[in-house]
Amino acid sequence: MASEDEISLLVIVVDVNPIWWGQQAQREQEFTLSKCLDAVMVMGNSHMAMSRTNKLAVIASHCQDSHFLYPSKSWKAGDDGADDASSSGDGKYELLSVANNLIAEEIRNVMSKTLNGLIHDLCCTEQVIKAAEDCALQYMNFMNVIFAAQKQNILIDACVLDSNSGLLQQACDITGGLYLKIPQQVALAQYLLWVFLPDSEQRSQLVLPPPAHVDYRAACFCHRNLIEIGYVCSVCLSIFCNFSPICTTCETAFKIQLPQMVKPKKKKLKQTT
Amino acid sequence: MDEEPERAKRWEGGYERTWEVLKEDESGSLKATVEEILYQSKRKRVIESHGQVRLGMMRHLFVVIDCSRSMEDQDLKPNRLTSTLKLMEAFIDGYFDQNPISQVGIITTKNKRAEKLTDLAGNPKKHIAMLKKAVDTVCVGEPSLYNSLKLAIQTLKHMPGHTSREILIILSSLTTCDPANIYEMTKTLKSLNVRVSIIGLSAEVRVCTVLTRETGGSYHVILDESHFKELLMLHVKPPPTSSSSECSLIRMGFPQHTIGSLADQDAKPAFSMSHLDSSSGPSLGGYFCPQCHSNYTELPVECKVCGLTLVSAPHLARSFHHLFPLDAFIESPVEEHQRNGFCQACQGELKDKSIFTCPSCRSVFCVECDLFIHDSLHCCPSCIHSQTAS
Repeated sequence: MASEDEISLLVIVVDVNPIWWGQQAQREQEFTLSKCLDAVMVMGNSHMAMSRTNKLAVIASHCQDSHFLYPSKSWKAGDDGADDASSSGDGKYELLSVANNLIAEEIRNVMSKTLNGLIHDLCCTEQVIKAAEDCALQYMNFMNVIFAAQKQNILIDACVLDSNSGLLQQACDITGGLYLKIPQQVALAQYLLWVFLPDSEQRSQLVLPPPAHVDYRAACFCHRNLIEIGYVCSVCLSIFCNFSPICTTCETAFKIQLPQMVKPKKKKLKQTT
Repeated sequence: MDEEPERAKRWEGGYERTWEVLKEDESGSLKATVEEILYQSKRKRVIESHGQVRLGMMRHLFVVIDCSRSMEDQDLKPNRLTSTLKLMEAFIDGYFDQNPISQVGIITTKNKRAEKLTDLAGNPKKHIAMLKKAVDTVCVGEPSLYNSLKLAIQTLKHMPGHTSREILIILSSLTTCDPANIYEMTKTLKSLNVRVSIIGLSAEVRVCTVLTRETGGSYHVILDESHFKELLMLHVKPPPTSSSSECSLIRMGFPQHTIGSLADQDAKPAFSMSHLDSSSGPSLGGYFCPQCHSNYTELPVECKVCGLTLVSAPHLARSFHHLFPLDAFIESPVEEHQRNGFCQACQGELKDKSIFTCPSCRSVFCVECDLFIHDSLHCCPSCIHSQTAS
C-alpha cells in the first residue's frame, strides 16, 4: 500500500495519427478513435479513484507536435471526469517537481502502425522516422530518453494495437514495465484495467502476461543487418560486421595487428653417405 | 632545480574580504543573496562540453583507498573510512552508468603494503558487495604509494592500447612509506601511459602534486563531505584520451537473451560460467556466447572460455551522449521574453530570473528543465519534433 504522502503520477500518451485511424475506421467499424479515448478515460478515472493523491495527465501525439489534453488551464481539483475533453492548452503542470519526489510513475502508450509516441518526464514525444538518414539520430534520442527514465525510476509500459515495435520492447524491458500486444482491440478497456492499472509493487502479486522476448542484437552500421559478433570502433563505438581499415563514421585509421614473422630455422643438412 | 609552475599560495595573495559577498536589501534580509548563491551553484553543475575532443570510452580504472591510521579520524562523519566507502558505492554506480563497457578494480593500502580488494571487472555488484564488507577493516599503519601503484600497473600494463589506463588514489595520510624512489615510479607510469589522479583528504602533499602533474591527472583536496562527493563525481565522465593511445576495432559479441521455461521441450539447463564457484544450480535462461555457447547470467562480461567481450546494444548506446553532446543553451534575462510565457517542456510558468533558449529550435526552457536536459536527458525535446520526414 502506498503511504499517504506518495503521489503516483500516471501519464497516458495516445497516438492520434490521423492516417492510421482513418484506415482503421474503414477496416473495422467497431473500434474507432472515440472508443479508444473512452477506454483511456475509463483508465484515467480509475487511476484517480484508487487514491486521493494520484495524479493524471493525458497527452495526444501526432507527427508534428504533442498536446496536453489534460490538465488544462481551467482545471479545478476534484473535477476529473468532465475535463477529459480534448482542449489543448498549456497547463501549469510541474512534472519535474513530482519527479523529484522519487516516486515510481507509470507511463502508458498506445501505439499505431506507422508512428510511435513516447513520453518522458518532460512531456514531449518522439517519432521513429522511416527515412534512413534520420534513423540513427532517432534511435539515439530514444535511448537517451529510456536511460533518463530508468535513472528516475519511471516505468514505461506499452500497449500496442497493431504491429510490434522493437524499440518499445526495449524501452519496457530496460525500465521494468510491461509490453503487451492486444489481440482484440475492442476489449482495450479491459486490458488497460487488468494489466496496466496496478502499480509496480502490486504487480508482483498478480499473474500477468509473460514478458516478451526482446532482441538486443545490434545492427551493423553498413548493412543494417542484425549481427551476433561484430567489430566496434574504439573511438566512436560504431558497429561493423566486417573488419575494415578505416571507420566510416569517425574516419580513424586502425592499426592492423600483423602476424609475427617467425625466422625460419636453418636446418642442418643431413650428410648422405 | 626543476622548473615547475608554482601557483601562488593563499597566504601570498592579498586579503580577501569574503564578507562582502553577502549584501542585505532594504529590509535587512539576505534572501536575495541566498537565492543568487543557490542559483549559481545550480548553474555550476552544467559543465561545458569538450566539443570535438576524442574521449576514452573504454576505461580501466583502479581505485586505491587509503586504509591507514589517519582514516579513523572523525572529521567526516562517522569516520573517514565509512564515509569514503559509502561515497565509493555511489561512484561505482555512476561510473558504470556513464561508462558501461569499462572496468574498475579496487586496491587498499595499509601497514606499508597494498592488496587488491577486487580485481578489474565490469560488473558493479561484486565491487559494491566487497565495499560493504570492507567497512569492518581495521585501519592501521601507514599507506604506501609506491606499493599500491606497483600493484596497479602489474595489471594495467597488460591492457590493450586503445583503452585508457587510470588510477584514482584517495589519500588521507600526509606520509607514505615507499621501498624505492617514487620519482622512478613516476617515469614508469608516464611510459606506460597511465594517468594518476589523487583526492587528498587532509592537505596538499608535494609528492602527489608532482605525480599527478607528470602523468596528466588532477589533484584536489577536499573541504567537506559534499565537496568530496563532487570531486569523486568529476571522475565519472570519460576523460579526453592522450594522443598516444591507439584506435582499433574491437571484436565483440551480442548474445541473445533466452528465457527458458520448464514447459519448453528444447530448454537445456546450463551452469553460468560467471558463478561456477557459487552453490547455485543450473539455470534455464541466460545469455549464450555466440562463439562458444557458454552461459552467462549478466552482461557485460568477458567470456572466460573464448575471450570474447560480450555486451548488449543498449550498453553501447549509453555512451553515445558523450560522443554527440548537447550544446549549452543560451541564457537570457526573463524580461526580454514576455512575462507570462511558459516553459516548453514542463508547461510551468517562467518565474526564474533567466530563461534558456535552445540555439537550434529557439524554444524556451526554465532553469530546472535546462538542468534536467543537460544532466540526464541529453536531447532537446523540441528539436525532436522538428525532425520529421520531408
